[in-house]
Amino acid sequence: MNELDKIPVRQEISVAQGSVKRSNPLANVFDELVRFCQSRSMFMLHYCTGCGAIELPPAMTSRFDMERLGIQPMVTPRQADILLITGYVSVKTLKRIILTYEQMPAPKYVIGICSCTVNGGMYWQSYATAKVLKEYLPVDIYIAGCMPRPEAVISGLRDLMGDIKSGSASNWKRYFQNYDHYLGNQQKLFDEDWQTPTDIIAEAEHYGLITDQTLGEHTALLQKHQQPLEALEFSLGEKREKIRGENQ
Amino acid sequence: MHFLELLVELLLMPILAFVIGLAMVLMMRRIGARIQRRVGPPVLQPIYDIIKLYSKDTQISHGLMHEIGIIMAVGGYIAAETLLPVPGLDGLADKGGAVTLAYMLMIPALGMALGVGQCANPNGSIGISRALTAMLAYDIPFILVIFGASYVYGTTNLAEMISIQQQQGVSSWGIVQMPLLALTALLILPAIMGKHPFEIYVAPAEIATGPMVEMSGKFMGGLFVMQCFQLYTAGVIFTTLFLGGGVYWITFLPKIFLVVAIPMSVAYLFPRYRTEDVLRLMWKWPMLLGLIGLAVVMK
Ligand code: SF4
Repeated sequence: MNELDKIPVRQEISVAQGSVKRSNPLANVFDELVRFCQSRSMFMLHYCTGCGAIELPPAMTSRFDMERLGIQPMVTPRQADILLITGYVSVKTLKRIILTYEQMPAPKYVIGICSCTVNGGMYWQSYATAKVLKEYLPVDIYIAGCMPRPEAVISGLRDLMGDIKSGSASNWKRYFQNYDHYLGNQQKLFDEDWQTPTDIIAEAEHYGLITDQTLGEHTALLQKHQQPLEALEFSLGEKREKIRGENQ
Repeated sequence: MHFLELLVELLLMPILAFVIGLAMVLMMRRIGARIQRRVGPPVLQPIYDIIKLYSKDTQISHGLMHEIGIIMAVGGYIAAETLLPVPGLDGLADKGGAVTLAYMLMIPALGMALGVGQCANPNGSIGISRALTAMLAYDIPFILVIFGASYVYGTTNLAEMISIQQQQGVSSWGIVQMPLLALTALLILPAIMGKHPFEIYVAPAEIATGPMVEMSGKFMGGLFVMQCFQLYTAGVIFTTLFLGGGVYWITFLPKIFLVVAIPMSVAYLFPRYRTEDVLRLMWKWPMLLGLIGLAVVMK
């Protein structure tokens, strides 16, 4: 039985990251209202990996009905609050997950469903999967199981709701505070010229979340390889000409 | 004094519209849930959503036009609300009339188009082109309906239409006088509200909710607010033209909720049409019905 205790449920939350109470009592009431609404209205990104995804439709539809908790699916990362990682994550998928995660507006939460996101699960020996999800992204809640039943998914989501309400679900700040660590792990997996279109360091500055772990050797590497984003050229006509030329 | 009264009315009308609109959004989601045998969201869910969206820490703006676009989308509806007479509050209704209202209702779609244009997301552009196509599809039958109603009542003034229907009883209601036009309006109602089976521009599966693709935080919140106004406006226009409006809220509210509930209950049973099918459908049946209806009332 003791083994069960070793399965992580929450990533350790340091005290400094808990909610900061403001001195003005009215502001406190306001904060509490906002947190309450945030916990009662969560849009989850319709993005699924691995086999655990199959447990989400029953959790959403008539039998378990997530909408009564205020959880509904949204299709673009810009509108989503929670990112559900529903199972094993292959290296290729992880790139997309990170791209998606960085585009989500804060406060954002990540839920790792399935044992595969905890420690690699039965894909432990696979060369192509990323094993421990929390090395690449800050995870708020784990729902372990191979695969967890919809009841477990709902109960995990309720745990997250409780965390948001109490203000302790601020793991998204970790990503900015420890960006160098996360980026390092990502570079190890993807190559050292890995980059995403989102400027995390500038965002961290914007939120005032720069710590001495935000910048480091890995971000230096990123800056060395970084290419400025350019708008894609729109050249349907030319391409068509080219294809036509090749065909002839 | 008169000026102050008007000012209060102008403030009160959009606020009332918003509150009723919230209830309508809730009703819509509950109807959808019941049809799918679910419980549905709690009573205050629409408010939670809006507060949540406005309280996001990240608010991604794509530029000035993006922000102005949302303001136009919400503002267009707020302006439209002041032109819609409701029990006890006439606002600008006797100065505007049905034609101004029809113009006002186009502003939100144009605002969205401007705002989405600056997001530079191809999905958004596809979405907005579909939204404008849908508008083109339903606006022609809509104008037919408004024209027919104005012809029957002999005025484009909405407040006067209501008083005519109120004074002469149920037999003078639009739905008795011009049943075909009422049917036309009922057919295009889901399109005006942007709901199934005509929600070609949201299309979550293919174009990732179209115009909303880059909207997040308060921008999305603005669109949620706009949706409340949208449902309310559609309900009130139909009630004013065909169901005798209302002198008392107690008779007025059931009517507008009923009007919104009918297309909603039907909507969740149908899958979505394709863009060209919407155009074909709208320009065939509602338009044909509308034209016959016009011929009947003008005989
Ligand atoms: S934990 Fe089991 S069900 Fe979940 S992704 Fe891994 S193998 Fe699939």
